[in-house]
Amino acid sequence: MYHQIFSALVSKPMIHVYTNDREYRKVFVTSKRMLLSDDSGKSDIILITNKSTLFQIMKERQWADKKDEKPILFVTDYRLLKFSFDIVGAFYWKKGRSQLLFIKNRLDPYNITLPDEYEDFLVDTL
Amino acid sequence: MTLKHTSNYIFIIMGLLILLMVYLQFSIDESTENLKNEEIKKSKQYAESIAKYIQAEADGPLLLYLEKNAEHREALNKILHTFLTKEFQYIFLLHKDKKGHYRFLLDGSLEDPVEYNTIFFPKSKRFNSVYSTQKTQIIKQSEGVEEIWLSLLYPIVAQGQTEALLVIDLSESHAEHLNSFNSPVMDMVKWIQLFLWVSLLFLAYVSYNFYKLRKSILVDPLTSAYTKIYLQELLERKNVNQYNAMLIDIDEFKQINTKYGHESGDTVLKMFVKEMLTLLPKESYIIRGRGSEFFVIVAKESADIEELAKKFFKYLTEKRYLIDNETISLTLSMSAIVIPEETDSIFNIQRSLDEKLLEVKSRGKNALGIVGNVSGDEIKYKNLDYIKEALEEERLTCLYQPIFNTRTQKITKYEALVRLVDKEDPQKLISPFYFLDMIKGTTQYIKMSKLVLKEVFHALHKYPEVEISVNLDLDDLNNADMMKLITKQLYRHRGLANRVTFEILESQQIKDYDEVALIFQQLKTFGSKIAIDDFGSGYANYVYLIKLDVDILKIDGSIIQEFLYAPERTKIMLNSIKNLAEMYRYEVVAEFVSSKEIYDMVSQLDIAYSQGYYLGEPKLLESYLVGSIIDKKE
Repeated sequence: MYHQIFSALVSKPMIHVYTNDREYRKVFVTSKRMLLSDDSGKSDIILITNKSTLFQIMKERQWADKKDEKPILFVTDYRLLKFSFDIVGAFYWKKGRSQLLFIKNRLDPYNITLPDEYEDFLVDTL
Repeated sequence: MTLKHTSNYIFIIMGLLILLMVYLQFSIDESTENLKNEEIKKSKQYAESIAKYIQAEADGPLLLYLEKNAEHREALNKILHTFLTKEFQYIFLLHKDKKGHYRFLLDGSLEDPVEYNTIFFPKSKRFNSVYSTQKTQIIKQSEGVEEIWLSLLYPIVAQGQTEALLVIDLSESHAEHLNSFNSPVMDMVKWIQLFLWVSLLFLAYVSYNFYKLRKSILVDPLTSAYTKIYLQELLERKNVNQYNAMLIDIDEFKQINTKYGHESGDTVLKMFVKEMLTLLPKESYIIRGRGSEFFVIVAKESADIEELAKKFFKYLTEKRYLIDNETISLTLSMSAIVIPEETDSIFNIQRSLDEKLLEVKSRGKNALGIVGNVSGDEIKYKNLDYIKEALEEERLTCLYQPIFNTRTQKITKYEALVRLVDKEDPQKLISPFYFLDMIKGTTQYIKMSKLVLKEVFHALHKYPEVEISVNLDLDDLNNADMMKLITKQLYRHRGLANRVTFEILESQQIKDYDEVALIFQQLKTFGSKIAIDDFGSGYANYVYLIKLDVDILKIDGSIIQEFLYAPERTKIMLNSIKNLAEMYRYEVVAEFVSSKEIYDMVSQLDIAYSQGYYLGEPKLLESYLVGSIIDKKE
């Protein structure tokens, strides 16, 4: 599932993903098409699952020069979307239903254009 | 119970078991479904109450009411929460924004409540449908949804516009709870189903074995030709008269087994059947009989049996088979028959073919014999079961042909001739031509003889002036049961026995004259007379005159008939027999007196007695006992 979502964001045969969440690391470590990265700065996507990680990542990102070279931020909680404009989307559960969400004006700085099948999950703003 | 019926019963049982399983499952499902429908109905009523309450609270445009005041939202969230019983997983209120995205207005969950205006992606397009049609819908959740059994979508409408969508999610655990209502019954049904499945498996296993067994019974494992049981089953379904038949026997097949071994013999049989199959038209069947004998039936419309038999004979006798690096050809004895329309039994056909095959074999084998036109009567009456039934039902009568005194021109005696009575038509009498050879040597023959004697003695008792002659085969005299029957009857009717003549007919040459003489003597002690039938032909020769003490010579009909072609020479022969008989003091009867011409010549020769169609054909005794025959003829 995550490979499918991340492939829409990064067009690479092998996507480097960073997350410090132990449960998610277990998922990515077994993936054949995604490589679990130990260095958030060298990854393609950072998957953030809690507020403290988000704040830590945000601090680290302040040093990066160009935004489009920074890893893409993706979260697993709707509420985290509000803390940073660098976060492009989220995948989470709400009322027993899986929710996938991309924010259009946050994708633009990364020069990301989503495939058509994600059109329904694309919102302009929160 | 036949094999065919057994298989039908197995299928019926299997079908019933499946139906029972389906019925049980359907009943339980229906009962559970009813429970669930009740629950859905209740949820609809809830939704309606909640919607009314919210609208009453808003008392105007709902969106505006909720947007402006967080306290109102909080209060309504609490109200929604009160509805959140164990049946419902979530209750929340959505509205569609200008861009078509659903956003939360209210959420009744206390745990992890959703903030006002949070975007929501429903997993079903039915949300839009309810929004536009303004009709409540129930949707079953699909992929990407957890813990929810059903979602009830209730539109909140004001002034014709859908303001919001009330979503009530019925929990999966509640569905399980509803299912558990029927769970004891369901458990029982599952056990029954398990039992039925095991039974079905067992039945399937039994059926498989049954079919294997059935196949081995119906198909000859060596040649793959059918067996006689298959033929029997086939003819239960179809009329035998739709087919013609052939009987094929490989001559001296034992020699192939002896010379090349049984394995090679088996190979030849297999190849032989394969060759036959290449020649057979459609709807034909090869049935393996004993050893190397094959019975073939061919649908009448498929081929002319005579032509097909000739083709078979030519091809199969010209065909060469390779055994142990040696090529051999086979010689065949074959018979074929066109089965008459009125035939209803294959056994008579097989017997006719057997007889013909025997004839072919007796003529030196390696030939084809076609059974000539067989009448329906022949097929019907040459049936042992039919004859047996007739004898059991005592459907037997005797016709009497008069024996005429040429000198006094009066009937002196009658020859009793046995007839059976047709089952369906009592007026129709069955000639012994059809059944006598078939029952000779069997208990049926003894039974028939007993009935004949009973009838004859009854006639003798009824008509004290009448004498009757009865035919007896020389073989009968060698049969202890037959002799016991005759002597018993003679003893029982000893007052009538002197009016009985036994006409002895030979089917083979007498081996022990002394023994025959003794038996004759035994019969004569009761006063009965002995006549030699068909004297002058076959085995009935002049030695009898020397070795046996008889009373009457019945000159063979074939000699009498010669009057018509060689009268002078016949006269010499008959004079000779007559003179000899007079010297031995035997009476002489001329048989086959079929015309006035013959009768006149017999009279001229002063042969004392005559018998034949000219003087009287076989009839019921009563019809002769009114006046003399000559009187009637004149």
